[in-house]
Amino acid sequence: MAEGANPLEQFAIHRIVTIHIGGIDASITNSAVAMVVAIVLVTLFLTLGMRRHALVPGRWQSLAEMSYEFVANMVRENSGHDGMRYFPFIFTLFMFILFCNLLGLIPYNFTPTSHIIVTFVMAMVVFIGVTVIGFARNGVGFLRLFAPSGVPVFLLPLIVVIEFISYLTRPISLSIRLFANMMAGHTMLKVFAGFVVSLGILAGWAPLAFVVALFGLELLIAFLQAYVFAILACIYLNDALNLHAH
Amino acid sequence: MSEGEPPKGEPAKRLDDLDERLRRLRERAPDEAVKKVGPGALARQSAYGFAFRIGVELVVALAIGGGIGWLLDRWLGTMPLFLLVFFFLGAAAGLLNVFRAAKEMNRDG
Repeated sequence: MAEGANPLEQFAIHRIVTIHIGGIDASITNSAVAMVVAIVLVTLFLTLGMRRHALVPGRWQSLAEMSYEFVANMVRENSGHDGMRYFPFIFTLFMFILFCNLLGLIPYNFTPTSHIIVTFVMAMVVFIGVTVIGFARNGVGFLRLFAPSGVPVFLLPLIVVIEFISYLTRPISLSIRLFANMMAGHTMLKVFAGFVVSLGILAGWAPLAFVVALFGLELLIAFLQAYVFAILACIYLNDALNLHAH
Repeated sequence: MSEGEPPKGEPAKRLDDLDERLRRLRERAPDEAVKKVGPGALARQSAYGFAFRIGVELVVALAIGGGIGWLLDRWLGTMPLFLLVFFFLGAAAGLLNVFRAAKEMNRDG
């Protein structure tokens, strides 16, 4: 098989600028560049879109306002008005993941969110942040999260352990969901694109049609996974802010 | 669409009129307008996404439970005991997660 046809090759990380600081490899990789590009584009999209402050928004301003309102509604509905204090964080998270996912869909671009370390770090920030906020707001009372009300005393030790395991699964399921969706989708796209080439001009049209359909699905998944990540962060935040709402 | 017609006149007056028309529209269908663009709208569209979520939730809880048991066993030297106990606790936690996810979906839908 030719070098470029390996469906997993797109996930390889290359060093672009090699930097070593005290034995730590701090090189700028293609993944880092893709993330920086995503951040720069989000910033440009929002600042240039809002540049005119028009009362009746143009196309770009509409898009910027829509994304703002979409996330603001999501935070308000899922974490209540208290949660709006953390809106900037959720909005940043959502826009960053969304742009990483979307930019990754452009051929030859790298998708940082297809690497579990990237998604895991984001999930851990949410997890640790929510735990810290929970303890800061409720003190030791936050531990009541592990002991739902109305449970008989003799079942309590069992329930507490189960709830604790369930709490620990949060960052892992959060990160695996995003990473696996992106990786599976991109691998599948590449495999079927490979079929197009190997089947040639005669039979290659069938997989080509499939690739087009799959690309549409991937576009949906790019939005959906950014949305799911952000909404779960909101729901976890809600647990920390309003304890009883289980 | 008689309400959609923009009236002619002074800009300020037209703007007031726009406010008035918007208010009337919102009063007529306050919930529908929110529902259409509300966050729940996107999630409902993808059963695939939901199935994926449930699968991950189950497997991860099992893995975490098993992992805790294995670590405890290695620490205390009681090899199969805690691994087995926590495997089942992990399964219970996974089911709990799925139950909650389903409840959440019902709330949205």
